[in-house]
Amino acid sequence: MFRYILKRFAQFIPVFIGVTLLLFFITTILPGDPVALRAGEKKLSPAVYAEMRHAFGLDKPWYVQYVNYLGDLTQGDLGTSIASGRKVEVIFKETYPYTLKLALAAITLEILVGIGAGLISAIKQYTFWDTLVTLSTSILVALPVFWLGIMLQYVFGIQLHILPISGASSARFSDFAHLVLPAITLASVSTAYAARIMRSQLLEVQSQDYVRTAYAKGLSPTRVLWGHEMKNALIPVVTFVGLDLGAMLSGAILTETIFNWPGVGFTIYKAIGQRDFPVVFGGVTIVLFAVLFVNLLVDVSYAFLDPRIRFGDASEG
Amino acid sequence: MAGELLKVDDLKMHFHTRDGVVKAVDGVSYTLNPGETLGVVGESGSGKSVTALTMMRLIPMPPGKIEGGEVLFKGESMLTMKEEQVRDIRGNRIAMIFQDPMTSLNPVYRIGHQIAEPLITHKGMSKKEAHARAVELLEMVGIPNAASRARDYPHQFSGGMRQRAMIAMALSCDPDVLIADEPTTALDVTIQAQILELMQALQKRTGTAIIMITHDLGVVADIANNILVMYAGRAVEYGSTDQVFYEPSHPYTWGLMDSLPTHDLTEKSTLCPIEGQPPSLLNVPSGCPFNPRCPYVKEECRTTVPELRDLGDGHLSACLFAADPDFKRSAADCAGVTR
Repeated sequence: MFRYILKRFAQFIPVFIGVTLLLFFITTILPGDPVALRAGEKKLSPAVYAEMRHAFGLDKPWYVQYVNYLGDLTQGDLGTSIASGRKVEVIFKETYPYTLKLALAAITLEILVGIGAGLISAIKQYTFWDTLVTLSTSILVALPVFWLGIMLQYVFGIQLHILPISGASSARFSDFAHLVLPAITLASVSTAYAARIMRSQLLEVQSQDYVRTAYAKGLSPTRVLWGHEMKNALIPVVTFVGLDLGAMLSGAILTETIFNWPGVGFTIYKAIGQRDFPVVFGGVTIVLFAVLFVNLLVDVSYAFLDPRIRFGDASEG
Repeated sequence: MAGELLKVDDLKMHFHTRDGVVKAVDGVSYTLNPGETLGVVGESGSGKSVTALTMMRLIPMPPGKIEGGEVLFKGESMLTMKEEQVRDIRGNRIAMIFQDPMTSLNPVYRIGHQIAEPLITHKGMSKKEAHARAVELLEMVGIPNAASRARDYPHQFSGGMRQRAMIAMALSCDPDVLIADEPTTALDVTIQAQILELMQALQKRTGTAIIMITHDLGVVADIANNILVMYAGRAVEYGSTDQVFYEPSHPYTWGLMDSLPTHDLTEKSTLCPIEGQPPSLLNVPSGCPFNPRCPYVKEECRTTVPELRDLGDGHLSACLFAADPDFKRSAADCAGVTR
């Protein structure tokens, strides 16, 4: 197990280099100039312009910039924002907790509602509840996230005035109220998928021979469901939810933008608009490590859920 | 008759599907006395397993529907008792083992846990007691290093070992009846013999009655007291093992015997399979259900449904001509498969 985890950490390196190299390359062909954008309408004098480009290292070729970026990164330095002049680490230290909070709220919703709905749907197969779940998940999957977000804002914010539609805190609403609509929006599609996976897995498991064995032992339907069926049916659901958590930790650009949620996704989105490359690189770096780490956690958790999966160094008889 | 452990009387289980009614079990009767072994023999789809599962009330209803008959366990009706009472019998008084040991054990639980489960459920044992007993049971079925193997998962066991574990699980509560549904079919031949020997040895020790469901007459020849031959959801012949083997009285039983390979390798013998396929249970032929495949078929067979009739000494046959002294089995003569 330990060797497996070390191996996985070693695999982080090529993935990291691949993603960041690609990102640096893209910035070179992207139109727009961060220094000019910072100046706004006013024309900079050529001397000031050249000095600023030099100060941010933009006068060097992209591969030199990349090496500098790597060198700074090893010292924990993500650079300085061109647009605001603030340290990138500080920017993300402020914004990451918001992304974390939103991700945890959304994943909790996904687990409770998704698994719950899938479970009910499978147990009450072909009844009203099953149809309701199947139909509503189909609709949710098909709805564009931004449309759902805007509709929620319109209904609960503009019409009913019961929930805030923007930002993470205000004088009028509690922080929790601010979290509700973004969390629902972020969780919507994955909750629908989680419910569908749960339903189909449980139905499949129910026709397995070992379930018949469990009934033949004289176990009650409740014991068979929670003891024998769920433990098998949950394996793919946990995989899905885990990977989804990784995606959510990388900042939900759409959701955060719709709700002006001051998280990583919104920050990166704004930085791209300003061609504020140090912030974009810093954000992607943080997000990349978060995703890789969560994926590793998901893979390790398999071993606990499914005994048939053992890692390379386990001795088998 | 006093002392009857299990009595199945004219049991009918039909499945109502979109295509029509599938008469999976259509009037099956037998009795099982304590410590006896009953062999239930027939082709795939003859209703052998469904009969057993119906008895245990393990068939989901719907689509299944019991259209008639009775199952008495120690004089009590299994079909009308409450679900809780049936649960109390399952795995406790009547236990089952299944055909495919590769899929019949839950892959995510340790073997020991799965054997301990009925003990916790039925005997009220603590987890610790049940686990200790599970290790003893694994030893009893011949698993070496039982204490450490109990902590293994099913995928760490071979097919034969898994079937041994299934037997240990089934015998954990010392049941009165053990239903073995094709317990050796998925195993290779040497392991088959070991498992059959094990079951016989354990039966001697525990006095459990066994219902051995199989498509292989050879499997039941040595161990059964009585044999029930099934075809198309019905009983076609029923009698003691000697009666069925030495005086078989139904052309279907004859066919089953002719299709057994002989062990004499010096003689160039032929296998005589029964021609054709078992009928679709959606559409059982009129008259005797075996008539389209029967080499001895006569005109009456196509119109008259034969009843099970006693030929004397409790030997029953569902052939219209079974009692006719001129109606004899001819020497196996077929195009067959030359070995």
